[in-house]
Amino acid sequence: MAYPFRDERETRILSAHFGDPQARTLDGWQKRGGYGALRKALEMGPARVVDEVKNSSLRGRGGAGFPTGLKWTFMPKDDSRQPHYLLINADESEPGAFKDRELCRWTPHQLIEGALIGALAIRAQHVYIYVRGEFFEPAQIIGKAIEEAYAAGIAGPDVMGSGIGIDVTLHLGAGAYICGEETALMNSLEGRRGQPRIKPPFPAAVGAFGQPTTINNVETLCAVPHIIERGADWYRSMGTEKSAGTKLFNMSGHLIRRGNYEFPLGFNLKELIYDVCGGIRDGRRLKAVIPGGSSVPILSAGEIDIALDYESVARAGSMLGTASVIVMDDATSMVKQVRRIVEFYAHESCGQCTPCREGTTWMAKILRRIEAGDGRPEDLETLVDLSRNMTGTTICVLSDSAAAPVLSSLRKFRGEYEALLQRDEPVLATA
Amino acid sequence: MADERTPLGANPGHAGETGEFAHLSEADVRGSAYVGRRPLEGGDHGGVCSYPYQLPNRQPDAPLFEGPYAKRLERIRSRYPDRRGPLLPVLNLAQEVRGQLTPDALTRVAEVLDLAPAVVRGVASFYTMYNTRPVGRFLIQVCTNVSCNLCGGDEVAAAFLGHTDTEPGEISADGLFTVIEAECLGACGFPVAVQINDRYFENVTPADVPGILERLSAEARATGGDTG
Repeated sequence: MAYPFRDERETRILSAHFGDPQARTLDGWQKRGGYGALRKALEMGPARVVDEVKNSSLRGRGGAGFPTGLKWTFMPKDDSRQPHYLLINADESEPGAFKDRELCRWTPHQLIEGALIGALAIRAQHVYIYVRGEFFEPAQIIGKAIEEAYAAGIAGPDVMGSGIGIDVTLHLGAGAYICGEETALMNSLEGRRGQPRIKPPFPAAVGAFGQPTTINNVETLCAVPHIIERGADWYRSMGTEKSAGTKLFNMSGHLIRRGNYEFPLGFNLKELIYDVCGGIRDGRRLKAVIPGGSSVPILSAGEIDIALDYESVARAGSMLGTASVIVMDDATSMVKQVRRIVEFYAHESCGQCTPCREGTTWMAKILRRIEAGDGRPEDLETLVDLSRNMTGTTICVLSDSAAAPVLSSLRKFRGEYEALLQRDEPVLATA
Repeated sequence: MADERTPLGANPGHAGETGEFAHLSEADVRGSAYVGRRPLEGGDHGGVCSYPYQLPNRQPDAPLFEGPYAKRLERIRSRYPDRRGPLLPVLNLAQEVRGQLTPDALTRVAEVLDLAPAVVRGVASFYTMYNTRPVGRFLIQVCTNVSCNLCGGDEVAAAFLGHTDTEPGEISADGLFTVIEAECLGACGFPVAVQINDRYFENVTPADVPGILERLSAEARATGGDTG
């Protein structure tokens, strides 16, 4: 069952126990088959676990879609550079995304089991679960589950009697979207400002505390126990050839039934919006969809008959990202929503790179004056120019993310901007 | 005290009431029945972390890192390989006790971790959850980012500001409330999401606002203590 609604067409694997408070406890989780995969992984050993995940074609669910098994192979294969660290990215703060919060608060042991298998695979001694500071309840629930796992000998110096020691620590952020970027997350864990690092060196070479490190998203690791238990072939049998397995789709905005739904990748976006989520509320019509969280290009209503997998969404000119689908009805002011998204990036820019620090602030300022009816004729070209200068010019992609909705909305909804520019209202001499 | 963080009853619409899980209580959905009370000195493993929220009864002049907090500090330190790693959890701990991070609290954190005060201030000023200025007893953060915005985030924020008679970031005359707009709280499926200290309120509409404020005021009267 997804949460808070369910649909019989779903393939519920990660979300099978959403809405079931009993599944939170260690006892309840084990009764539902939990920690069987960890036992199996301990018997398989690191190399075979990595192979299995590699063969499953699992791709990172944090937005970039990088193959998980391949990422794990970048880690040193021996213990010459111990300690290794596994960091779990639960800094979910992409506008539109609310899947990791549900995974953390309904199935904390699914996450811990995946984390321990991941740590085993990359020979990590210590797992840090980086939860965003606002997530008090999910953090408390994970904390309790860690406590239970230690008490039962599942985490700690002797994982299930194997002689392998893996510590698990919960670490809270303190309110910074940028810490979801993997190198910023490492800096934040180390007690620094959450500013992204230049790559290379990559985390597998020089990561947290200078040691080999892998960073995985919550949803990615939650899929791992299922892959180990039921095999790579089973996992690959779901989804498409290049986008295997299931994905949580986070549906928000002007929908009748908002919520998380789990489907194999490749599910049709139009069907998801109209059939599963009941369509647009208040009898209105669809205007636009952001398919992968606020950082990706906007799709217009005519562009939604597409399969939701990494390749198909890219072909449609956007990105699957975190599969956070934000749906807007025909009463939505596109300029207002784009302005709000850009203000978000202006607020969250870490300030390291000039194109991002200045660009996001200027774009927000220009969009505010267009929205207020004080726009200048050259503003739209200035926005395009700023966006181009903000793409591919910075350490991380926050800057590109701010430019994407501006460029796509200017292309697809230019009329709205022009209507505001032509509005017959007093224009301020200086903005 | 730290262990009295029970959910406020009658949340205007916690996620469980939204859909097909109406049989679940708020404690079921929030997991509060499962988690139970947290000791001040922290747990041994999972419970070792600290949270960047103030206690219901914050003590602006309380000594930092003494008594049970000294124990918690040591537990936090034991989880990190160097002396800087624990900085965020230790800042959280200071804010939990005092409600805000004053310059002397930051200096004390620097002393305890043997870091330069400038380093500590630089980090504290980077993260939005660290209150380097005083806030009301209840810090009300209304999500106005895109998914909540589409469903009335601006209106809910305006209602909180109007009913508390404040501008964003100000403390209300009774010392109880500070209202700010927040960036995405990660509860986009349950708009409008509002975070009040450590609690999430979901599916909030402007009509819910007076009731929420009344209940918070009643809670403050019942627990007494400093109202800042």
